[in-house]
Formats: sequence, C-alpha cells, structure tokens
Amino acid sequence: MQIDVEAVPSRARVPASLRRSQEDPAWVRYGLTAIALGVVLLLIVVPVLNVFVEAFADGVGTYFRNLVADDDTLHAIGLTLTVVPIAVVANVVFGIAAAWAVSRFNFRGRALLTALIDLPFSVSPVVAGLMFVLIFGLQGYFGAFLRRDGFSIMPYVVALVLAGTWLVGSLLVKPRRGAPPLGLWRHPWLLSVGGSAAVFTVAVALQQYFEVWPQNQSLKIIFAVPGLVLATAFVTFPFVARELIPVMDAIGPDEELAAVSLGASGWQMFWHVTLPNVKWGLVYGVILCNARAMGEFGAVYVVSGHIAGQTDTMPLRIEKLFQEYNLPGSFAVASLLTLVAILTLILKTRLEKLVPAPPRPGAPNSAETAT
Amino acid sequence: MSIIVQGVSKRFGTFQALDRVSLEVKAGSLMALLGPSGSGKTTLLRIIAGLEVADQGTVVHLGEDITSYSARERKVGFVFQHYALFRHMTIADNIGYGLRVRGVSKEERKVRVDELLHLIRLEGLGPRYPSQLSGGQRQRVALARALAARPSVLLLDEPFGALDAKVRQELRQWLRKLHEEINVTSVFVTHDQEEAFEVADHVVVMNHGKIEQSGTPAEVFEHPANAFVMDFLGNVNVFQGRIEGGKALMPGLEVAYPDYKGPDSQDAAVYVRPHELWIERHKNGAASVEARVVHVNPTGSRAKVELRTTDTDTMMMAELTAERFAELGLKSGDTVHVSARKVRVFVPDYSI
Repeated sequence: MQIDVEAVPSRARVPASLRRSQEDPAWVRYGLTAIALGVVLLLIVVPVLNVFVEAFADGVGTYFRNLVADDDTLHAIGLTLTVVPIAVVANVVFGIAAAWAVSRFNFRGRALLTALIDLPFSVSPVVAGLMFVLIFGLQGYFGAFLRRDGFSIMPYVVALVLAGTWLVGSLLVKPRRGAPPLGLWRHPWLLSVGGSAAVFTVAVALQQYFEVWPQNQSLKIIFAVPGLVLATAFVTFPFVARELIPVMDAIGPDEELAAVSLGASGWQMFWHVTLPNVKWGLVYGVILCNARAMGEFGAVYVVSGHIAGQTDTMPLRIEKLFQEYNLPGSFAVASLLTLVAILTLILKTRLEKLVPAPPRPGAPNSAETAT
Repeated sequence: MSIIVQGVSKRFGTFQALDRVSLEVKAGSLMALLGPSGSGKTTLLRIIAGLEVADQGTVVHLGEDITSYSARERKVGFVFQHYALFRHMTIADNIGYGLRVRGVSKEERKVRVDELLHLIRLEGLGPRYPSQLSGGQRQRVALARALAARPSVLLLDEPFGALDAKVRQELRQWLRKLHEEINVTSVFVTHDQEEAFEVADHVVVMNHGKIEQSGTPAEVFEHPANAFVMDFLGNVNVFQGRIEGGKALMPGLEVAYPDYKGPDSQDAAVYVRPHELWIERHKNGAASVEARVVHVNPTGSRAKVELRTTDTDTMMMAELTAERFAELGLKSGDTVHVSARKVRVFVPDYSI
C-alpha cells in the first residue's frame, strides 16, 4: 500500500503507543538488519581484510620485497599504469562526445546509440576479448595484413585524426560577423571539408615520404599493449557516458543556450558552462572507469597472451602468482588493487553529494537542487 | 522597424509550430506575444533569437537579413523562463559574461556590471551565487545579464512564469518602468492576457502557429478580431443565437448590432463579457431574460455573480461594481432580470 508521506504525522509528535502500531514488529526490524549486516560482514568485510592479513602474513619486509624485488611484478604494475590512463582518457573523450550527442541532440538512431553505449556492460568480458582476437588476431580478419605490413595503416590513422581535428576545429572556430570575412573564411565549406581533405593528404604524404613508420613489419595488436588498451577501453566504455548523460539531462540546455546568445563560441560555451556544470559527474565517471580498468581481468586475459614481463597486467599477475602457490606475493599485489578500490569507494561517496541530481518531480526549478 | 519577421514556418515532426507568420516590431516598443501553450509563441521568439532555425521565412533586424546568423552573431539579449543563470558563477560574473566573451577588459566589465546591479537594484549582491537569490532576484539578474552587452533587442520567454503572484505583479511594473528608462526594443512571451495588457504597448495574439490579431491592448481587447481572441482575452459568456435585421438575437434577449456587415439572418455565436451584463431586480421594459442567482462572490473590486436562466437553463457569469452589487443586495436563490449592454457576434467560419 502506498502511503502519502505528507499525510503521516511527524514521528516526534506521535505517542509511543501509536508509533508502534505504524511500525513493523521488532523481530522483523532487528532480523532484517542482522541479516544484512551479517552478509556484508561475511562476504565483503572479512575477505577484504583477509587480503591485507595474507599480504602482511610474513611481515612488512617480505611484503615490500614481494612488490619490488620481482621484476615481473614491477613490470605488471608499470603496464597497468600505462594501459589504464590511455583507456581512461579515450573514454573521457568518447564519453563527453556521446553524452553531448544523446542529451543535446535529437537525431535518428539516438535510442540505438544509448543502447549501444551500454553494450560493454552486458557482454561478458571474455567474449569482448575474443572479439578483438577474432578481428586483429593472427587468424582474424586483419591478422594476415597486420602481420605482413601492419604499420602501413599508421599514416592513414594519424592523418585521419589530424583531418578530424581540423574539421571539428573549423566548425567551432568561426570569424565574427561584422568584420568582413577574409580569404578562406569567405568559403566556410571549402575551409572545413576541403581543408580537412588537404590536411589528410599532406599528412599521409609527409609520413610516407619521411618513412616515419617501419615497412613490412608486423604490427602486433593482440598479445601486445595496443590489444590491452583496446580491451580495457571497450570494457570500461560506458562509465563516463553513463555518468554524464543523466547529469546533462538534469541540467538541461538552457545555460548553454544562454551562453551562446550572450555571444560565446562553441569552445567558450563548453569550457565556461558545460564543463564546470558536469565536472563532478565527470570526475565520478572517471573514478569508476579507472577502478574498473585497473581491475579488468577477463577481456585482458584473452588478448594479453599472458607473457610474464611483457603483457601481464596487475590482475593477470595476481592470478599467475596465485597459480604458482606464491600466496604472499599474490596477495601483496592484490592489496594494491584493494587499496585502489577502497580509495575509489571513499572518493565516490564524497562525490555523490556534489553531482547534481535529476530534478525531483514537483521541484520548482532544477537550478535550485544544485549549486 | 527594428525586427521584421516574414513568412516564418517551423515544423517539429508532424506538429506545425509556426505557419507562415509575419510580424513587425517597432524600434523601442514593448511587444507581447500572447497565446495558449502550443500556439508557437516561444518558437517564434527563439527563431528571432537564433536559438531555433526556421524551416522557411526570413528574419530582418535593422534592415539586415539575419536569418542565417547564429545566436551569438545576432546581438540579441535573451531571458529564459527559468533564468538559466550560470550556477557556478557569481552574480557579477553572470552579468559580465556577455562582455567577457567579447573580450572586454576586466575594469570596463566591472564598471558595467556595477551599473547594471544598480539598475536591477541588487547592489552588493555581486559576489553571491544564483542559488542564494530568490526567484524574482534571479530573474532580474538574468535580465541584467542579457542587457550587459547593450543588445538592440531584448527577448523574454515567459519572464514571470516561474514566479509567485505577488512577485510577478511587482516585476511587471518594474519591467514596464525599466523599459521606459532604457527603451530597448523588447518582445516577451506570455500566456497571461492580464500580463500582456499591463506590460506591453503592442499585443500579438497567437494560436495554432498563426497570428490571430495584432494591435494595442485597447484595440485587441475592445475589438477582438475573432471568436478565439474574444474567448482567450478574459472570461466571456457565449450564447448560440442569430443575427437578423441589425440585431443580435439570443434566447430571450436582443441587442442592436449595427456593426454587422455580413449576410442577413445567420446563425451566430454571441459573446458577452461578464461586465457587460446588466442585472435588474424587476423587469423594466428593455429586452431581458429571467434568471436565478446561483452563486455570488463579492470579494475583490468587482462582485461576480453566477446566474442560470429560467427558460433555457444556460449558465452565465456577470460582473458588477461593488456599488451596484450593494444596491441590488443580491444573494443566491434570487430571481433577477438580465440584459446585455454590449455584445459581439462571430459568425462561424464555414470556409474551414
């Protein structure tokens, strides 16, 4: 039964005898609390504490030796610290773009995009890893080509990125109306489309002329760092976008439109209005994305090939040490990841208060719910 | 003419928001776009501001075709219904934003911001944040922010819509006064006819994406162009009657209606404003209809009386001055005689 909250008199004014009639019996209240607490203690608190107990079982000295003395462990930590930032940065860029597209534009396929953003959540990480192996692996679609002369695609990739930057930049940076546009500014389409085509051609030509990339060499993606980055980025794809979309929906486009009507350019609007408004949501998303990326096992396991000292990340290293019956070593690395997790949890709780909540139904103005 | 809108149409999916609307705004005037929700008034305002792109038609500003200009190039001040203040900036930064993006120096900005804070009577609140201000104060800040870069046109989208009745009343008078002071061409959108009449010196009534009537408040109120305008501008009693021989005939009533020029002897809807009904205790020779008082509401400057005719059981609303009400001493259940002092007749348009 639904009870109108307003209609229920405040607790303080209700006499104890009446209050009892409105509450569940004591055994229900205490019983449920005990069950919840027991489960949390048994399944969460004890295992987490146990990680540290095991890690320090042979003393602090052994703990540090386990971390520092083993070259493979050190390499695994270094690799994780390389792969994760790249994946997180890629997902921040993608997440902002996707959130912007979904919450500010109405286009055909918008619902499909929203659904696709969530796809990595619903696909098993192992399957995600296999997908990349099937595409880039030796037996995969591009495998033979990548092995023969893989680096030959690099000039095009780099040129494409540069041309894209030019296109976006030329659309965002426009001359002020008023002063007559000079030179190429008089032909905006030629400037943006023709310009990016020119940038692409010149970039490709330059890279090929100076032979920036090695020729006839195998470009390893699977069982190498690029594969790890791809797999990690794929699995942590949704975090930033998922965090930003509700925040941007809650804030609405009015402030951005106000900035534009006051004469701000696209960049100014983004830096002055959009980013400050979503910054806590963004930080929140980045933290979650980072935590997941650091701990990712399944997808990375498939694409890494498990080569110690080369493609082992921290979670893979933990598993390998564990398989080798090196429990203290395994738990020492595990304690680092657990520490990251605890830190994430603390930051997450702190940030939750700062992220603007979606407007409550009946709230007079969404602007009042957040500062 | 400051703004000329010509043949502007806008369609959202299957919904025709604007249908070939043309409009002229005189320089220095204060115009109201009045209409029910969904009438296209806000869409029209946003098209003038460049926040929305028209499917067809042109917008001309001070002789320059600005149809293809983006919002930032139009130099138009826009005030949003929910203020849209930048929540992470102080009031002073909010007001100065338009100058900041135009590269005005910090010192100049400060001078202008102080000037505007004085204009909106919020001196000393510059360092506060929007969340620390009341709704009325926020709306004034939004106005100051829109005015900071000295736009030649000020557009306001339901500027008082989110405020409570008392603040709204105060702000209306304040806006009127402000307009006299700075005399910037202004267009505001409202669904409240009282607000439009009180603030604007030119009213444009819109419905279904079209302009129904345009004129001064007096013109529009006294000479509504059609049944919709009549109905939308305040309460009105509608009778199904006829027009015949220069007279409007309603059940039991007839009123001379010499203005009517159309074909004689027509079925027509007869509109009578509540204050144009006249109530007598006793029949005095003039054409009148017998009615029973159902409910009286003597509060306010005018007493409202709800009546039901004895013959046809039609409901009517009448408004009396307080003096006349006291003179008659009406209470519910009384039988009275009602006549109409003035009517308007709209023959249904069969061309549709």
